[in-house]
Amino acid sequence: MDLVLDVRDIHRIYETEAGLTHALRGVSLQVRRGEFLCIMGPSGSGKSTLMNTLGCLDTPTSGTYLLEGTDVSTLDDDELAELRATRIGFVFQSFNLLPRSTVLRNVMLPLIYSDCPVREREERAIRALAAVSLPEQYFDHKSNELSGGQMQRVAIARALVNDPALILADEPTGNLDSATGDMVLGTFRRLREEGKTIVLITHDPEVSAWADRTVHIRDGRLLTDAQERELVRHSSTGGRGLT
Amino acid sequence: MRARDLASETWEALDANRGRSLLTVLGIVIGISAVIAMTALIGGIKKALVSSLGLTQAKAVYISVYTGDPITQQDVGYIAQALPDYEFVTGISYGSADVTTQKKQTNAQVMGVSPEFFQAQSRHASSGRLVSSDDLDRMSTVVVIDQNAVGLLFGDADAEAVGRTVRLGNDDYTVIGVLPATGAATGNGITVYVPRTTCCARITGSQTVDQIVAFARDGVDVDQLVKSTKSTLEAHYHVQQDASSEGGTGGGIMVYSMKQIADQLNSTMLAFQLLMTTVASISLVVGGIGIMNMMLTNVTERIREIGLRKALGAKRSDITKQFLLESICLCLAGGVIGIVLGYAGAFGLAKAAGAGIMSGMGGSGGITPVIEPTAVTLATSICVAIGILFGFYPARHAARLDPVESLHFQ
Repeated sequence: MDLVLDVRDIHRIYETEAGLTHALRGVSLQVRRGEFLCIMGPSGSGKSTLMNTLGCLDTPTSGTYLLEGTDVSTLDDDELAELRATRIGFVFQSFNLLPRSTVLRNVMLPLIYSDCPVREREERAIRALAAVSLPEQYFDHKSNELSGGQMQRVAIARALVNDPALILADEPTGNLDSATGDMVLGTFRRLREEGKTIVLITHDPEVSAWADRTVHIRDGRLLTDAQERELVRHSSTGGRGLT
Repeated sequence: MRARDLASETWEALDANRGRSLLTVLGIVIGISAVIAMTALIGGIKKALVSSLGLTQAKAVYISVYTGDPITQQDVGYIAQALPDYEFVTGISYGSADVTTQKKQTNAQVMGVSPEFFQAQSRHASSGRLVSSDDLDRMSTVVVIDQNAVGLLFGDADAEAVGRTVRLGNDDYTVIGVLPATGAATGNGITVYVPRTTCCARITGSQTVDQIVAFARDGVDVDQLVKSTKSTLEAHYHVQQDASSEGGTGGGIMVYSMKQIADQLNSTMLAFQLLMTTVASISLVVGGIGIMNMMLTNVTERIREIGLRKALGAKRSDITKQFLLESICLCLAGGVIGIVLGYAGAFGLAKAAGAGIMSGMGGSGGITPVIEPTAVTLATSICVAIGILFGFYPARHAARLDPVESLHFQ
C-alpha cells in the first residue's frame, strides 16, 4: 500500500500559562496516495493541531509521523521548511494571498522557496491555474480584486504549483457561501480524480460528503469505527428530523 | 532562495510602502547629505587655497628679524649668500602716504618691493607691467596698484588706470600696472607697490628693510629650510633660542612659509570636519533608530505574510535575509538621496557664498566643491552598515516568529 501519511500514536502537549494542554492524545492515521480524506471535529477538538502537525508546521511531542516514508520528527527547522516547500501544499480558510501581488505572482510564491528554475515558474503557475479553472484574463489581476471563490482557487493553484505529495486544506470553504464553496470542493474532487492526495479539515458535515473517507476527532483522539458509526447514525437522524 | 528572488521580493515590499519608506529614511538623508556637502565644500576650499597659494607660493618663505638695530639690504645680501638653497632673497620696506587723484584723497599703505616679490607671490599684472629691476636702479616714480585701488582712486574698477598719474606723498607717480583684486580687501584701506629704492628714498626716508621674502629652489624641503634659516640667523645675530620664539621681546627671528599657513588651515578644517561628523553621526544614529522602528512595525503588520511564507517553505534564513535586505535598501536609498542632495547643496552653497568664504580665509576666487569617490564609497558603506545594524534585530525577530501563531494573527 502506497502511504503518503503514516501517523502513529502522536501526542502534542503545549505549555501555556494555564498549565499543560494536551491537544493530541495518541492519534494514528494512514492516508493512501490519491485519497481524499476529511478530518471533522468541532473547535477545540485538536483538529488544528493535527493539521499543523501534518503540515510540518509543528512537531509532535511523541509518536512517529512519516511523510512519504520520511520521519518528520527527526528533522530540524530548515529541513521541515524544505519539506513544506516541496511536498506539502496549504490551502487556508482565509486564503492568505498577498493582496498587492498579481494572481500569477501569488501562485509562483512557493517556487522561490523550492529552488525552481526561473524560466519554468510561469509555465508551472499557468498549468496550476488551469487545473483550478481560473480564466486567463485574471492572471494579471491583483489578488484583492478577485471574488472569494476566485481567491480560493488561486490559493489552491498555489498549493498545487510544486506538485506536492499532499494538499492540506484547513476549512477551505469556511469563508465562502455554499454555492462558491461547492465550486471549490468540486475543484478538490477533480484534483483527487487526477491522483492528488488531499486532507481537508472542517467542522461542516456537508463538506465531508465530497471526501472518500471521513475521520472524526474529539478531545484530541480520533473516534473508533464503532464510535463513528454511532455518530453518523445520530447526526443523520438528527439531520432528517430538522428538515 | 535565489538572490534574484530576494531582490524582487524586497522591491515589492518597499514599493508597497513607498511614502512611508521615504519619510523613514529622512534621518539618513539628512545625515549623509550633511557629511557629503561638508566634505565636498572642505575639499573645494582646500583645492582653492592650494591653487590660489599655488605651488610657487608654497616655496615662499617670510623672514622677520628683530635685533634692535634696523635691518638693511646688507642683511638681505647676507641671507642670500649664507643660504644657497634660496633661489633669491628680497627685502620689502613698508611705509604709508597720502594718495591723491582728481577724484579722491586717502591714506595708503606703500610697499617698497622688487620684481622678485611678485614672483614669490605668483602675482601677475592684469594690465600694464610690474616693477622691474630697471625701476629699482633708477628709483623711478612708478606705482603698481590693484583692481580695488583702481575703483577707489578712479571711481570705477574697470577704468583704464595704466599711464595715469597719482600723487603719492609729495611726488607724482605714473601707474604702470594693475594687479587683479585680492578677495581679502577690506574697508577703504588700499595698498600700492612702488620700487623698494623709491620707497626708501621718497616715502620712508630710511634704508630699513621691514620684511624679507625668500624663495626656495626647486626640490628643496621648505620645512627643513625654514628651520635651517632660523638657526643660521639666530647664530648670526646672536639671538637667544627662547627669546626668538613668538612674542619674544628682546629680539627674535620669525621665519614662516605659506606651506605652514596652509598646513595650519588644514588642521583647523580638520577640527571643523570632526565637529560636523559628530553632528552628522548623531543624525545617522537617530535615522537608524527610525529605520529599526519602521522595520519592527513592518514585521508586525506582515506577521501573517511571514507565517504564510514559512508555511510555503521559507527557511528562517530566507526571512532574515528578506527583512535585512529591505532595511539595507531603505538605508541605501536614503544614502543615495543624501549624496545627491549633499552635492547639490554643496554646489548651491559654493555658488551663493563661495567667494565670501574664500576671502574670509585669505584666498581669492570661488570654490568648486570636490566630488571624491572615497567620500561616496564611504557614505554608501555607512548606509549599508546602518541598514545591517538596525535591521538585524527586526529581521531576526521576524525569522523567529512561530508559523502557526503568525498564520492566525489578527
